[in-house]
Amino acid sequence: MKNRLKVLRSERNWSQADLAERLEVSRQTVNAIETEKYDPSLPLAFRIARLFDQPIENLFECEEVEGGENR
Amino acid sequence: MSNMEDTLVETKNAISPKLGFGSSYGVATAAFIVLYFAARAILELDVETWVKVTVALLPVPAFGLFIYYYFMLVRSADELEKRMQFEALALAFPLAMMLVFTLGLLELAVPLSKDDWSYRHVFAFMPIMYFFGLFLARRRYQ
Repeated sequence: MKNRLKVLRSERNWSQADLAERLEVSRQTVNAIETEKYDPSLPLAFRIARLFDQPIENLFECEEVEGGENR
Repeated sequence: MSNMEDTLVETKNAISPKLGFGSSYGVATAAFIVLYFAARAILELDVETWVKVTVALLPVPAFGLFIYYYFMLVRSADELEKRMQFEALALAFPLAMMLVFTLGLLELAVPLSKDDWSYRHVFAFMPIMYFFGLFLARRRYQ
């Protein structure tokens, strides 16, 4: 799943550690989401959307994969 | 080896900070290791059987605490850490099964020396398999 987390974080001049602290997750989790190696759970995705005051669909974009499977 | 050490440090950092279980987990782990090796040393001595059985069971309560605190740490970890722990265990558990059933079949085929292949030796492979699984999971999400 593609996301705009890194862009939004950079706009606020937050480090990954700052964002991790605000979301109550580890810095590694933030990094894995930003590098699109890990798709957050729905509750975490909503927490991210609320933190950036954005609709969730502005943050995440689902890549359609043939066969309907996403990773 | 340094990759394994990194894995240990990252695990500790990822699952310890916001919980009170980190130090208790460390104490339980240390207690188990000390009791296990103490039991191993005492069991080499020529003592009565009831003493040997008692000593052999000494590490069990400490390991029970280790399980409890590990479980609490994983429950308190963030979602990515939970997934990595799951992937590590999902690899380690079948690998451990494979080792046990292979040794079980091999001992039917050829005599295996208990000095080389006993429960003690099989046990030592299990944490290695877990850390190998954890290393792979960490690398995947780095």
